[in-house]
Amino acid sequence: MSLAHWCARLARVSHDLDVRVRSHVYGVTMQRGYPPTIAEISAALSLAQADVRATFERLAAGRALVLQPGSGEILMAEPFSAVPTPFVVEVGGFSCYGNCIWDALGVAVMLKQEARIKTACGDCGMALQLTVAGGLVAGDAGVAHFAVPARHWWNDVVFT
Amino acid sequence: MLYFRSEEHVDRWCRQWKLERGAMLTLDQVWQLAKAWYSPDRSDPAWRRFTVDEAEAILTGIGLTAPFWNLL
Repeated sequence: MSLAHWCARLARVSHDLDVRVRSHVYGVTMQRGYPPTIAEISAALSLAQADVRATFERLAAGRALVLQPGSGEILMAEPFSAVPTPFVVEVGGFSCYGNCIWDALGVAVMLKQEARIKTACGDCGMALQLTVAGGLVAGDAGVAHFAVPARHWWNDVVFT
Repeated sequence: MLYFRSEEHVDRWCRQWKLERGAMLTLDQVWQLAKAWYSPDRSDPAWRRFTVDEAEAILTGIGLTAPFWNLL
């Protein structure tokens, strides 16, 4: 096998693994509201943890996941957050966290379910609540503020 | 992006954090954005990220046409 063929085969294997892991991550996340850990994926898919980590890094480079600094675990499987945020989404049989107001609404969209979103005014902290039902959103009036221009979102996707 | 009670609260928050005011969406606009952005099933192996053209079409489709929303 030539080097070119070997590289092409390796790329195909990596791509297939990326698809398999991403699909699993979202399958689990959509069932329970938060993404699986490296250890959980390793056990579920019979993969070495090093292979899961490498796959996470490729998916993060492709902006399909956002990873936690240090641990390399998932921080964001958009629109879901792996860590608590000010955007609580009550949907189906569980509560989970969106990364921002856009993503909190996105959880309801992705799960195709009615949802209640509990957040607070970014300025004064007053509790604000929205509901999604019947394809419509209603609740406390307000405005969503995007602090960062779209072309810079991925400079620091945690702050947009 | 955060949710605020009003534009006045956005301005106060920007002053407090010494940030320029960004862009504001109505609740209906951010809901339309969420619907368009997150409708594709990401657990589907065939899922892929939007291309820049597709993403910009979503933004312009809900009236977000200012340079602030340019992706490149």
